[in-house]
Formats: sequence, structure tokens, C-alpha cells
Amino acid sequence: MSTVGIIVNPNAGKDIRRLVTPATHTSDVTKIGIVRRAIVAAAESGAKRILLVPDTHNLAQRAADGLDAPVEVLDEPVSGSRHETIGAARRFRAEQAGAVIVLGGDGTSRDVAVGWPDAPLIAISTGTNNVFPTAIDGTSAGAAAAFVARGIVPLAVVGHRSKKVVVHIDDRGVVHEDLALIDLAFIDAMFVGARAIWDPLTVRAVVAAVATPASTGLSSIAGRIHPVGRFEPGGVFVRLGPGDRHVRVPLAPGAFTTMHIAEVRPLADGETITMKGQCVLAFDGERERPVSADATVTAHIESTGPLLIDVDHALILAARDRIFDATNHHLTKDSHGS
Amino acid sequence: MSDVRKLTYGGAFNEAVRQAMEADENIFCAGEDIGAFGGVFGTYLGLQAKFGAHRVVDTPISEQAIVGLGIGAAVTGLRPIVDLMFMDFICVAFDQIVNQAAKLKYMFGGEATMPLTITTGGGAGLSAAAQHSQSLEAILCHIPGLMVVYPSNPYDMKGLMTACIRENNPTIMVKHKRLLGMSAHVPEENYEIPLGKANIMRAGTDVTVIAYGRMANETLVAAEKLAADGIECEVIDPRTLQPLDTDSIVESARKTHKVLVVHEAVKFGGLGAEIASQIHELAFDYLDAPVARIGAPFSPVPFSPALEQHYLPDAASIEAGIRNLVQRS
Amino acid sequence: MDLSPPVQFDLHRRMVRIRVFEEAAGRLAEANKLPGFLHLYVGEEAVAAGVCAALNDDDHITSTHRGHGHLVAKGGDFNRMMAELMGKSTGMCKGKGGSMHISDLSLGMLGANGIVGAGSPIAVGAAFANKYRGRGQVAVAFFGDGATNIGAFHEAANMACALHLPIVFACENNEYGEFTPRSATMAITDIVDRAAGYGMPGVIIDGMDVVAVHEATLEAVARARAGGGPSLIEAKTYRFYNHHGIQNLGLKYRPDDEVARWKERDPIFTFEDRMIENGTMTRDRVDEIWAGLRGEIEVAIKFAEDSPLPTPDQILVDVYTSMTGAAQ
Ligand SMILES: Cc1ncc(C[n+]2csc(CCOP(=O)(O)OP(=O)(O)O)c2C)c(N)n1
Ligand SMILES: [Mg+2]
Repeated sequence: MSTVGIIVNPNAGKDIRRLVTPATHTSDVTKIGIVRRAIVAAAESGAKRILLVPDTHNLAQRAADGLDAPVEVLDEPVSGSRHETIGAARRFRAEQAGAVIVLGGDGTSRDVAVGWPDAPLIAISTGTNNVFPTAIDGTSAGAAAAFVARGIVPLAVVGHRSKKVVVHIDDRGVVHEDLALIDLAFIDAMFVGARAIWDPLTVRAVVAAVATPASTGLSSIAGRIHPVGRFEPGGVFVRLGPGDRHVRVPLAPGAFTTMHIAEVRPLADGETITMKGQCVLAFDGERERPVSADATVTAHIESTGPLLIDVDHALILAARDRIFDATNHHLTKDSHGS
Repeated sequence: MSDVRKLTYGGAFNEAVRQAMEADENIFCAGEDIGAFGGVFGTYLGLQAKFGAHRVVDTPISEQAIVGLGIGAAVTGLRPIVDLMFMDFICVAFDQIVNQAAKLKYMFGGEATMPLTITTGGGAGLSAAAQHSQSLEAILCHIPGLMVVYPSNPYDMKGLMTACIRENNPTIMVKHKRLLGMSAHVPEENYEIPLGKANIMRAGTDVTVIAYGRMANETLVAAEKLAADGIECEVIDPRTLQPLDTDSIVESARKTHKVLVVHEAVKFGGLGAEIASQIHELAFDYLDAPVARIGAPFSPVPFSPALEQHYLPDAASIEAGIRNLVQRS
Repeated sequence: MDLSPPVQFDLHRRMVRIRVFEEAAGRLAEANKLPGFLHLYVGEEAVAAGVCAALNDDDHITSTHRGHGHLVAKGGDFNRMMAELMGKSTGMCKGKGGSMHISDLSLGMLGANGIVGAGSPIAVGAAFANKYRGRGQVAVAFFGDGATNIGAFHEAANMACALHLPIVFACENNEYGEFTPRSATMAITDIVDRAAGYGMPGVIIDGMDVVAVHEATLEAVARARAGGGPSLIEAKTYRFYNHHGIQNLGLKYRPDDEVARWKERDPIFTFEDRMIENGTMTRDRVDEIWAGLRGEIEVAIKFAEDSPLPTPDQILVDVYTSMTGAAQ
């Protein structure tokens, strides 16, 4: 086995938030660099197959070009939509990948979770205000992924079960099931528009599985009132509106605003929230689905998300097992990066 | 001879490039849309399919870089043909053409050769308006170091384009957009028409008319009508505008004693001014009248066909001009 | 703050005006009634409409060879535009400019442009003047993906950032420059990747979604007006017709299924569906709007056809500010 899959979302890190806040721009060249480093590190760390899927920006192919590594860009349809990521996750499961590295934002990890609910995941942030993926260098990610895929470090030890918000929408008899990894928000709007949410007045309510004050965006609203850790069960429901609590929140990176809190309700694992009325549903911070005035939306939180691999921990275990020690092969032919 | 081989003006251009590329691996073409699409005027059609994308290169919309690419490749041993879609776009690339391509050899003390051909579509008559219709050849002829070629028919096109490609100085080949479909006999075998040699298209005794590009053809039409009235025009197409075949022009002026210069570029500061001046310098004593000129009025090329039609000289206005000149003396 | 219904109607109307104008122009060209080149904007309506609806009448735009849409979105008059396309003396440019140079300074529309990339430096000039005068106006430079390969664009972007000017660079990335795919002429996929190099923010938006374009432009314009400097908006869009004219003559350069996929996302029809679902518009009202504007365009065609051609004496008029040229 020892197969590692890598997914890179070309669209992450370039949306409107660069205009409304000083958010970082992640160029294609930056993303290609991370993937290249991950490929080299995974190969160095013993991965026998490193799989990529093609994308509209040709990032995967360009990252793989010219590398002396067992890397394959699989033949998968290029749609330019989230189905690329969902399909890649499915494919990697079918190929029995032992670890998946995903580059993007919360939304990209969410798409992986749709395609492969149990994916053993290393999520690298190249998006904007992300909670699920974090800043991990490709070099470390590639090594950790290979070690997990080879079974050298046990997934049962370094993989941690994440949560998700399970969403059920019944809109005039049309039923739709969906999920978010961090939060579901009810936005006072009629249009998806530029997708991101930066106007505080439009946020009606948030169901958060992860609520951390050390984040920006919707999750930080709940995080600054009622923090909920990444791996602890349950979550929190926050309704915005007139009330006696007011908090300062960075709704987008580097942009603070006062939010008025009408209600804060801790949610137990499985406890259902029901909302009605016209709005746009935002999944993990992006406006995505308009629903009509007749719609009923229910949501609850479960601990059934992807298995998040702790990269630090995986590499520490590998070091303790002397996995990084050079072999005779290395001692005769040293390769310094490149 | 019913089956003389015919080619269009555009086809003759294409054949010259193709034959040159077959003969010389150092030749490549570069320009906007010329590869897969064959150029917006179809003049490069089929060349990429034949020679591959490394020899017929689709470039970004980067006129300065297109000419720069040609200069750099030419001075390092290749023989580039680079295309600027419309002649108007020479303005976008003017530094590269005027300050680099034209002067490099001179500035380097002769230590460089510049076998570069720049091809471009010139001329009005398609309602392409002020930025896609100009005749800017006089500006180019003013620059020492450049050679400027402007064929009026398919036969000349092939021979002149072949000469341009083989030339070791930078040449600018102007293809008149309205002549692209003109069809005439063109031999299949490769041939070259020497640069700097005028073509006496029609011999005559009463008046010399100098015209190039599409205006040469308009002049021939006028000349035939005048012949019916017993006025015999000698029609000279210089074909190469820089270097200009002054000898042939002056010789004809000495013979007919009357000269008219026709071009579709604006009259003021046009090539006609230079030609008239040379004739006055070299054949003043032979003239029965001042050298006359016909050119476009001093305005940008207008869009509306109603205006453009009046803007451009044509057989009728050339005929009138010749009659006017002949009536003097 | 969601878009109010009046704003929605305005966006819709601007898009339908462009579509109706362009469809009519395309038909006339096919019937050989329009001289010269005709670069149609059909498919890209959301960009011009979404951007121009975020501007005031005295804000400036510079345009491209594909400029009718920009002028219509800025409020261009059908009659005079149609007359210009026909080369009539009643046209916007008195028949001297035509499709590629159509302009209306009274609407702040500083001209379509036959030279790719040439509009951006002019927009920088307008932005400079606006800042200089301190009247809070902004300038928007429209340009295509292909135009970002030309020096003029780079010089304009850099200068605008160096001088911290109130300008928005609005890129219509329709994936092609004439007949050559974008991928053949640049090694990047997103034009916004260039923005950082000049020191301005760059954002990608769905150019088939007028709301997305409008939201982004509102932010960019507000930022520019408030002294925040330039920004670049890249709208991913597509032209439904050929580079010029309607028919794809000559070699095929775009796969049919690609064209079909983009057409499914028609910026006008998808927006209408959304509005109808939201209950801000009815199908009947939509039909009425189209019928009304189609009526207006028929009037404009008639106006243009009945208008006189310019007379030859007009050739030398307007070359200089005085009546005739210095020489002839
Ligand atoms: C300086 C210059 N070079 C070339 C052209 C010919 N030309 C006209 S439109 C065009 C393509 C422009 O592509 P893009 O900027 O992407 O705009 P689009 O047509 O796609 O809207 C080209 C090459 C021109 N008009 N000007
Ligand atoms: Mg384009």
C-alpha cells in the first residue's frame, strides 16, 4: 500500500476578502511549491504511490513535473467546481490511500469529507480564515502522510476524529442533506453573490462545531463567547440580534466588528437545532445555498468527521523510532533538496 | 494556357514563407494567433501544422516583446519572421523597431547582422477605423537601417517576401489587407525579386505615375481608361520603398516630363513628398510641371464607409489627377 | 445588507439592455448592414453591469475593443450607439469612430479602444485627475485577460499603485485572446496572481454572477474613494459568440461542450431565475422588460437607418480643435 493522495484547490485564497480586509493572497506558484515539497517529502519518506488529480489550473501537473518521485496525476474529470475535490477524495479511497493531504480552506476539507467521510487527513491552509486546515509546511506534511500510509506511525495514535455539522434541508418538499466541518450560518440574503461573508449585519445565527477565539470569521463569534474545542463533543448555537451581550469579533482577517448576541446555547452531541425562513445557508464561511421562506433547516453536531492527522506527533514518533536515520544509500549519494 | 497556376496575394505570402522554412531550419515565425489559427488574415494558415509549434509560435499580445524576440533571435543566428497583426501596432513596438532593430548593427560597429522580417497588415478600405487602417510606411522609411517592402500583387508578393526572408537587414513586409484575396499567376518554384528594384508595370510616354500597394492597381485601371483617350501612362511600382529605386523613377521622369505620385497614406509628409523632392533635385530641367501628388486628406482614417470611400484615392480620383497634370504645359 | 429589489432591477435592466443591443448588432452585421469589426459582449453582461452599477455618473471608465457593453452599462443611448455602428452622422462619434472607438465623455466613458491594453494607462490618467481634483471620483479600467500580456497594462498597474490612485482594474477573463487560449500565452491561470507584484489586492469573482461582480465592485470602489488605492477584480467569464461577429468562421478554436457549459450559466437567465424564486420578480415582468427593450432597440435601428450619412466635407472636421487640419 503506502499510497498518499494530494488534493490542491486552485480557487482557495483568492476571494473577495482580499479586498475587504488585508487577507493573504495565495498564488498558484505558492500552492505548487507546497505540493512539490509534499511530493518530495512523501517520496523521501517511503511512499510508493503519490496520487494527484488534475485541476483547472494545472497545479497538480505542474507540481509533479520533473520530480524524481513515484507520482501520478490520475485521469479524473476536471470540472472546475467542488466536485473535483469530492471526486478526488472518492478516488483516493478507492485507491486505498493511507493518508490524504489537502490544500485549501475549510470548504476544501469539507468537500473531502463529503467524498470520503473517514478520510485520514492532513489539512494545509491556503485559504483565508480557516479553522479546520492549519499552517503546515508541505515538507512536514509529506513525511507525516507517508509514515501514516506505510503504517510506521499508527493512525489510531496520531489520527483524531473531527466533528461535523450535519444539515438537513426541506425546502418545499425538496430534501437536501449536507454538512459543514466548522460551522453552519444563516445569512440574511437572497443571493450567494461573492460567497464570503464580511457584513456582520447579515449574520442571523451560527451553529458551530468548533468555536475558537483564535480564529477569524464566523467561528470566532461563538469562539469568543463559548469556546468549543476541535475534538470535544458537541458545539454551540449562537443567534445574533438585539440582546444584552456584545462582543468584538474579527469577522474577516484583520477586520473587527461588534456583534450583538441574542442567544447562546451549548449543543450536546446529536442535539438538533431547527430554523425556518428565507435566508442563504453558509457552510464553513461561504454563502452557498439560498433557501425559501417555506424551508425548514435542521442541524446537529456529530463526531464523525475526517481523521485529522497530528503532523508534529507523527514526526516525533518517527524520530523516536529512528526513521530519519540515513541509510548506506544516503551516505554514498547525498541529495541536498532540489 | 488555361491552367496557369494561380495564387492569391495571401497565398503567395504563405508559399514564400513555407518554401523558405523548408529550405532553412533557422527560420521561425512568431506572432499573435498565427499558430493554430493561421493568423487573423489567414496568411500563416497551415504553417504550424506543417512545421510544428516550435517553429510557428503563438505569442502573447505583446508587440514590443514580439519584435524583441525577433531581434534577439536574429542577432544570435536565427532568421525570424515576426508578425504584427495590423500596421497600426508598429506604434506599440516602436522602440524595438526604431531604436533597436534598425540601429543595432550600426551601434555595434557593424558587428551584428539582423536577418529579421517583420510582417504586418496595412491599408484602409475595410471600415476598420482609425487604429486598424493606417498606412505608416513613410515613418518607417525615415529610419536608417530599415528596409520597407509593399507588394501590389501576388507575383511580387512571393518574390519580395522570399527576398525579405533572405535579406540580412531588418525588413518590414507590408501586406495590404484589401489585396489578400487578389488572385494571379504565381510560379510554384521559388524565386526572388531583388529588393530596391522598381517594376515598370506599364510603359507609357505621356506621364509617369508612381504608386505602390493597392494604389498601383487602382492606377493601372485609370491608365487603361486614359489610354482609350490617347493618354499613355507609364506606371511604376517601386515595390520596395526603402531603399527606393530612384534611378528608375528619375529615368522615367526624364522621359515623360510629368510625374504623379499616388499613395493612400496622408499626403502631408508622405512618401510622395520624398519622391517629388528627389525628382526635383535630379530631373528638374526635364519637368513640364511640378511633380503632383495624390494622398489621403490630413485626418485619421474615418470609420463610416461614406467617409472612408472619399478619404481614399481610387481609380477615378487618380484618373482625374492625371488628366489635370497632362492638361498643364 | 442584501441587495435591495431596486438594485436588483437595475442590475437586470443593465444586463438585458446590453444583450438586446448586442443581439441586434449581431443580426445587423450578419445581414451586412454594419461595416467594420464588431466585437460582441454577449455572455459577459454581468461584468459591465455589475461594475457600472457600482459607479456614479461622473466616475470614469476606459474600455476595450469589446466596448459596447461597457457603454450601454454606463447608460449609453441606444439611438446614437446604433447610428455610430452604422457610420451615421448622428452617431456617438459622428460616424468617425464606429464600434471600436465608441465613447461618450458625458457619461465618463473614455472610449472603446482598438489597441489592446491601451485603455489602462488612460484610466490611470483619469484616476490621477480625479485624485488631483479631490472630488471623490474613481476610474475603472476594463481589460481582457489577453491585455495583461501587454506592456501598457503593467506600466499602468504599477503607476497606479505607486501613485496610490483611486482606480479599479476590472479584468474580463474570458479565457481567450482572439483565437488563442489564455493557457498558450501565460503561465498563470488567474490574472489576480499578478496583482501582488504591484502591491494591490486582487480578487477573483464569478463573472457570470452579477451580484458577485457588483458586491466586489462596491467594495473596490468604496476602497478607492476612501483613499485605499487601486485594486484588481478578475471576473471569470466567457463570450458566447465569436471574437468578432456572431459566427465562428474559419478554424474552430473552442470546443463545443466548453461553449455549451458556459452558456448554461447565462448571467441574465440565472439571475432572472433567482429573482423569480426570491419573489422579487415575476416571469411576466421579465418578459415585459425584454419586450420593452426590444422595442427600444427597434426604434434605435430605425433611427440609425433613417439618419444621414456623414458628408465628405466632414473628413477634415475635428482633426484639430479648429475646423480644418493644418495641412492637406
Ligand atoms: C496592440 C494590439 N495588439 C493586437 C491586437 C489585435 N487584437 C484585438 S482583440 C485581441 C485579443 C484581446 O484579448 P483579450 O484582452 O483577452 O480581450 P477579449 O477579446 O477576450 O475580450 C487582439 C490580439 C490589437 N487590437 N491591439
Ligand atoms: Mg480574453
